[in-house]
Amino acid sequence: MSDFKLVWKNLMRRKLRTFLMLFATLIAFAIFGVLSAFNNAFSGDQAAAIDRLVVVNKINFTQPLPVSYPARIKQIEGVKQLSYANWFGGYYPEPKNQLVVFAVDHTTYLDVYDDAITVDAATRKNFMTDKTSAIVGRAMADKFGWKVGDRVPMNSNIFSQKSGARVWDLTIAGIFDKKKENQDTNFMFFRYDYFDETRSFGKDTIGWMMLNLTSSSLADKVAKQIDETFANSPYETQTDTEKAFNKAFVAQFGNIALIVTLVVGAAFITILMIVGNTMAMAVRERTREIGVMKSLGFPGARILKMVLGESLLLAALGGLLGLGLATLAIGGMKQAAGNFVPGLAMTGDIMVFGIALIVALGVLTGIVPAMSAMRMSIISALGRT
Amino acid sequence: MSLASQVSAVVRMNVKSIGQRFWPSLSTVVAVMLVVLVLLSFLAMANGFQQTIRGAGRDDVAIVLRAGATTELNSGLSRDQVRLLGEGPGVAHDANGDALLSPELFVIADGKKKATGLKANLPLRGIGAAGAGLRDNLKIAEGRMFASGSNELVVGRGVQREFENFDLGSKVTLGKSQWVVVGIFETGGSVFESELWADLPVVQSLFNRTAAVQTVRAKLDGPDGLQKFKDYATNDPRLKLDVLSETQYFSDQASQTSGLIQYLGWPLAIAMAFGALAGALNTMYSAVLSRTREIATLRAIGYGGFPAFVGTLVESLVLAAVGGCIGALAAWIFFDGLSATTLGASFTQVVFKFEMSPKLVEQGLVLGMAIGLIGGLLPAFRAARVPIIAGLAER
Repeated sequence: MSDFKLVWKNLMRRKLRTFLMLFATLIAFAIFGVLSAFNNAFSGDQAAAIDRLVVVNKINFTQPLPVSYPARIKQIEGVKQLSYANWFGGYYPEPKNQLVVFAVDHTTYLDVYDDAITVDAATRKNFMTDKTSAIVGRAMADKFGWKVGDRVPMNSNIFSQKSGARVWDLTIAGIFDKKKENQDTNFMFFRYDYFDETRSFGKDTIGWMMLNLTSSSLADKVAKQIDETFANSPYETQTDTEKAFNKAFVAQFGNIALIVTLVVGAAFITILMIVGNTMAMAVRERTREIGVMKSLGFPGARILKMVLGESLLLAALGGLLGLGLATLAIGGMKQAAGNFVPGLAMTGDIMVFGIALIVALGVLTGIVPAMSAMRMSIISALGRT
Repeated sequence: MSLASQVSAVVRMNVKSIGQRFWPSLSTVVAVMLVVLVLLSFLAMANGFQQTIRGAGRDDVAIVLRAGATTELNSGLSRDQVRLLGEGPGVAHDANGDALLSPELFVIADGKKKATGLKANLPLRGIGAAGAGLRDNLKIAEGRMFASGSNELVVGRGVQREFENFDLGSKVTLGKSQWVVVGIFETGGSVFESELWADLPVVQSLFNRTAAVQTVRAKLDGPDGLQKFKDYATNDPRLKLDVLSETQYFSDQASQTSGLIQYLGWPLAIAMAFGALAGALNTMYSAVLSRTREIATLRAIGYGGFPAFVGTLVESLVLAAVGGCIGALAAWIFFDGLSATTLGASFTQVVFKFEMSPKLVEQGLVLGMAIGLIGGLLPAFRAARVPIIAGLAER
């Protein structure tokens, strides 16, 4: 009989107990997986390009900037590509159903985000020629069943047209896909020139600018230079890397990482207690057997390995099932919560950390009973009833 | 021996022997405690947030928004519209015959959170002369109200608590403009305490928003005032605005975020409860197992299966109750009154406090006891069915 088989037999000796342990472990790892994915998505790190800068109004990013700024910033050395956008406050078809809609500079937007999203040549051509056209993300297009050429009446809860209408009729020029795994595609954008000439107020202002650098090492220098250029003007700017900007924005919701850590911590303390106790109990029950094995010549180290193997196997089975369940759950939640939490996904990092936790859990729950089994003398083991 | 005395004897025996299985029993207690603690922390967060927003609304104050705007931030009204609204029916007037009406400008400025050192959105509200009088329980706790026409600020207690450099006398730069904090105000913990207030015309000019306001708040002259005012503001072709009571406005806003927190809290707590249930079942099965001989002995001297059943169930319930109570107590000690901030519906920081209540504790204890009940029930059946002969033979 191989050691593994022995370990397996030991584990399956009390099937109900093992099942309950597996279940508790599975739950804890499922919680860990799901919450980590949410935390990752919220921290928005993956989608942000390191060498992209975001320029907003210094008062706050909801305040406008003059449309003359992009041309001036483009002069600054180190700026490779620059585009700008304005928040539209879109909803469709009901006010409850808010969508992420931007009015963007059509000549530059696709180039600045070339690392993140991609469109085909026909889409690009439509977007350049038709002033009322819009490009929709794959996730959003799928959700509403929109196709190229569809006309979509997009409402705004902020802006109105000069005619008083709060609806812009947009023609779908095409659909964009993501280039990076965690890039969100649940948004759309249409042409700023069309938006600006039809809206009833706020003309010639933009919401923010985003720019790529010729080299990421220039980020600090360029950011500083931009802010200095507009210092003491009526519209001062604040320039940050996209990553820092996203991070600050997410932090506004609260300390999500702390909440996740506390909840996952609570779940793991629970299973540490439960599984650790059970392992100790299982080994205690087997005292006589261990005595017999030792008297047959099993070295203490081998006994130690077998008990540790059992706790590790238990942790691995429960943990992997839990991580699997989390992956499935995330897949399901993507549909429901995709609007809220773009970029929700089970990543390799979470898996690696999860596996490290499995090993830690297996060792922690097994080490005390394993040591005591190893140290047990034959006399006392066989003598114990 | 009557059944009742059999039951009470076994229950006493079981409960007294909990200490002998100290570690497994402790694991159940801790598991239940953590489940209750996690659930209550989320519920207290949702509850506190809701109280903060809901507490701000008044029934006798109407808020006017641009049609279709769901928050103050998205709204906007012209100077003419403000004038017309002041002439509307249903609006209360003061002793001088002026309409009790406050045009308000709501701009977002950056503040630095003390906890993280990161920038976050703070609402700066320019209020009209009647504005302060339209807020419930308004109290200037420190300093005084701003003087009209000056760049003076009064700061909500929540902002002062959670953000850097908003104490009395502080000089604050918001955007390009310099402000002086001359007062700290309180509104009984409501959402207004998350705001900065200043004189409307000053905010308009310093933020390049000449003559623009976002909302109008109006004191209503009676219970039917809202309907009269609403009919007027919706039907007049020069207005065509949305009017709702402040209570309604804030309860719409509160439900979104607090709903979200609850939707997160319950599934998490229930998932953890299943994990804890597995632990509780395990503890109780092993308790029954270790007591097989004892139960069989009792059966042999004439005890029925029922006392064994009740004894096991009660033991499990006691463990769950202890865990649940410790969890609820810990939640009350650690979380009640904890100050936190999050992003509200108007895209600005809302400062709120976690708020526990007996009702929440009840929900937590119900969940905890459910773990104890289900975790005890199945092992209790097993205890009731211990066969006498085989049970006595057990070592």
